[in-house]
Amino acid sequence: MTTTTEAFAYADGTWPVLERVPEAHRRSWTMLASAGEWWTGAERISIAAECRRASALVDGRPDPGRGPAVLPDAATFAVHKLIGDLPNVTRDWYDETISAEGMSDAHYIELLGVVVHVWSIDEFHRALSIDLEPLPDPIPGEPTRIRPAGIRANGSWPPTILPEDLHETEADIYGGSERTSNVRAAMSLHPDSVRWLSDLFDAHYLSWVEIQSVQEPFRVLTRPQRELVAARVSALNECFY
Amino acid sequence: MLRESSQRSGTLDSLNLQGTVNPDTDSGVAHGSLLTAFAEAAVRQTDALPGLRKRIATELGPQELVDAAGIVANFQRMVRIADGCGIPLDDFTREATDDCREELGIHEYASAANTA
Repeated sequence: MTTTTEAFAYADGTWPVLERVPEAHRRSWTMLASAGEWWTGAERISIAAECRRASALVDGRPDPGRGPAVLPDAATFAVHKLIGDLPNVTRDWYDETISAEGMSDAHYIELLGVVVHVWSIDEFHRALSIDLEPLPDPIPGEPTRIRPAGIRANGSWPPTILPEDLHETEADIYGGSERTSNVRAAMSLHPDSVRWLSDLFDAHYLSWVEIQSVQEPFRVLTRPQRELVAARVSALNECFY
Repeated sequence: MLRESSQRSGTLDSLNLQGTVNPDTDSGVAHGSLLTAFAEAAVRQTDALPGLRKRIATELGPQELVDAAGIVANFQRMVRIADGCGIPLDDFTREATDDCREELGIHEYASAANTA
């Protein structure tokens, strides 16, 4: 295993990865290794390891092995479902998952946050044929088990926080904006997952400010090219949203 | 969003949204066929991926390849957040895309039942 400060060196220089990407990936690894609100650092790394196992199963690669902590069965199953069986993720399945032993809606959302961010970084590596970064060592600490105060049902399966319901502790998660998209708010039951989403979204795609701007972003591919790739990936995943 | 950005860049007339769902259709976006082929190969992890990497690096540039890989990675994440939370369509998205969703067959996706 490597420490987060050594990680994501992209040292062989095969592809010119701009520094904002490894910087965001290193912050991701620190987030991953740290205790969250509902899972310890060791459990979060086990979720990440399970994410890699699920991906290996889908692609027919060797099993990379389990992580340092034992997860509830429903958590393990959820990781595999989110990676390998997305079309069959349904409301009934979600309700069953959050009702299982060792799970809750907040556990599920934090798990989803870990899965999608590790998966995204790994997909970046696979797209460029770069070896996957070893998972970090867990950072000691206990989950805080703090549920945000402004959470309520807003149409998604899990409750979310609207900008007008933000309290001081999570006031930054929408960047001060008075409105937000449902996908940005989707994981607000676990505010750090929203912060993580924004950080990696900026590194891989565009910042939320750039998304709303009519100016052509300072990126290499043009805006129509970026949105074409985005739309094609969404279509390949049969994502209605 | 693709329609909006194409309008802003003055390329709306040549845009064909079928290129987002049908790999045999030219989207009208510059190098669009190559970029969507790369996206598909990366998502599906097909044997075409190494050759497409090389083609993008040669025809567009190595930084463009890294940029495209980042976008693929980003939306592999976003679709799982959307489908994993059953989020409803935003009002502004519904208004902006209602006409093309039917045409592109998006209403037929399994996740349409979750994202009402």
